[in-house]
Amino acid sequence: MMADTLSSSTAVESAQEWRQLKMDVLVGYILLVGVLLSMALIIAGLLWKYIQTGGVRLEYELAGMNLFQFVVSEIHLAALGQIRPRLLINMGIVVLMLTPFFRVLASVVYFLVVLKNWKYTVFTLFVLLVLTGSLFLR
Amino acid sequence: MAMPPFHLLLPVALLAGFVGAMSGMGGGIILIPALTLLGVDIKHAIAISILSVIATSSGSASAYVRDHITNLKVGMFLEMFTIVGALAGAAITLASSPRPLYITFGAVLLGSWLALLLAGHKSWESAAPQDGITRWLELEGSYPDQALGQTVHYKARRAYLGAPLMFGAGIIAGLLGIGAGAVKVLIHDLVMGLPPKVSTTTSNLIIGVTALAGTSVYLAAGLIHPGLAAPVILGVVLGAFLGTRLLVRLSNQAVRRFFLLILAILAIEMIVRGIRGA
Repeated sequence: MMADTLSSSTAVESAQEWRQLKMDVLVGYILLVGVLLSMALIIAGLLWKYIQTGGVRLEYELAGMNLFQFVVSEIHLAALGQIRPRLLINMGIVVLMLTPFFRVLASVVYFLVVLKNWKYTVFTLFVLLVLTGSLFLR
Repeated sequence: MAMPPFHLLLPVALLAGFVGAMSGMGGGIILIPALTLLGVDIKHAIAISILSVIATSSGSASAYVRDHITNLKVGMFLEMFTIVGALAGAAITLASSPRPLYITFGAVLLGSWLALLLAGHKSWESAAPQDGITRWLELEGSYPDQALGQTVHYKARRAYLGAPLMFGAGIIAGLLGIGAGAVKVLIHDLVMGLPPKVSTTTSNLIIGVTALAGTSVYLAAGLIHPGLAAPVILGVVLGAFLGTRLLVRLSNQAVRRFFLLILAILAIEMIVRGIRGA
């Protein structure tokens, strides 16, 4: 009886530990994919620009806007079929900025749904809200 | 603003990423002075640097997290403080005139120079008692140490002191556009008693989110210039990748001496420019 309770509690603990380890893998891959995708977009944009114009000088500026306005304007351009080198480079910057954002978003969901850890759900949610607010800055 | 040509920006960023990774100080501390020497205005340099910090920190954090060395709870708890600090720091930079920024940057460079000069070989001890607050925060863990060939268990402590200090580290990061990893590692090591490997890798994770908070302020202010961003991000990431690979081959002493020299030159240069108002 004692042994049973003991072993089942260790089993619960090790299952919890295992879930925690899975979270490492999830977070690690979000970061890896985000950075690689962003690099790929920037390199593709630069190559395209080079092929098109024989140079890689980018003269345009981003008027002060928040990330979401930026994303909307880029998607709008893409939808109009105006896929240009600068669109790829802008998307590279957007993907880079969204990488830590999605890492935090995934953490909130993981702490809430899988680990059921209310403390860390609140902590990560705070980080997510502050980041969301700052990305809406204008 | 004078835009330096691509063929200058890329190698400078590459070198900054390379040296930054080899020294463990991060790319920004070299990148920003180098960009200003190329004629980029300091606020644009800070904005681009902090954007590139997202890339270098996320890139290296991804490997450390999957190797189960990073402590996610420590990271996510302390992030709450660094991001608020970074927002404040970036706001201060926007409101500030360039000269105090040069001088502050030079002072931080001098501080890093001193920290690197005095860095000794302190050994980590796990026997410190954990306080109630840190226990409530579940700040403990274990990681597989390949050098020792065993799993190291540890308990953090003094989170109540680490948290406000991390707010300060966030301010420095947002203000100057650097990862401020050295400051974060110092807080992890000396205040919270984390093992060195956990402390550096967890600092790496925190840096990415902190840099994002700072970047958002600079993006809204219109300081993110894609013509600068594209070569700088590429160069810094590639340089950091190469620097990490080469780290094992070069002797630590040689890297340290080289970096001490560069830091000293850049620190003096930035402070002189701040005073003369260049």
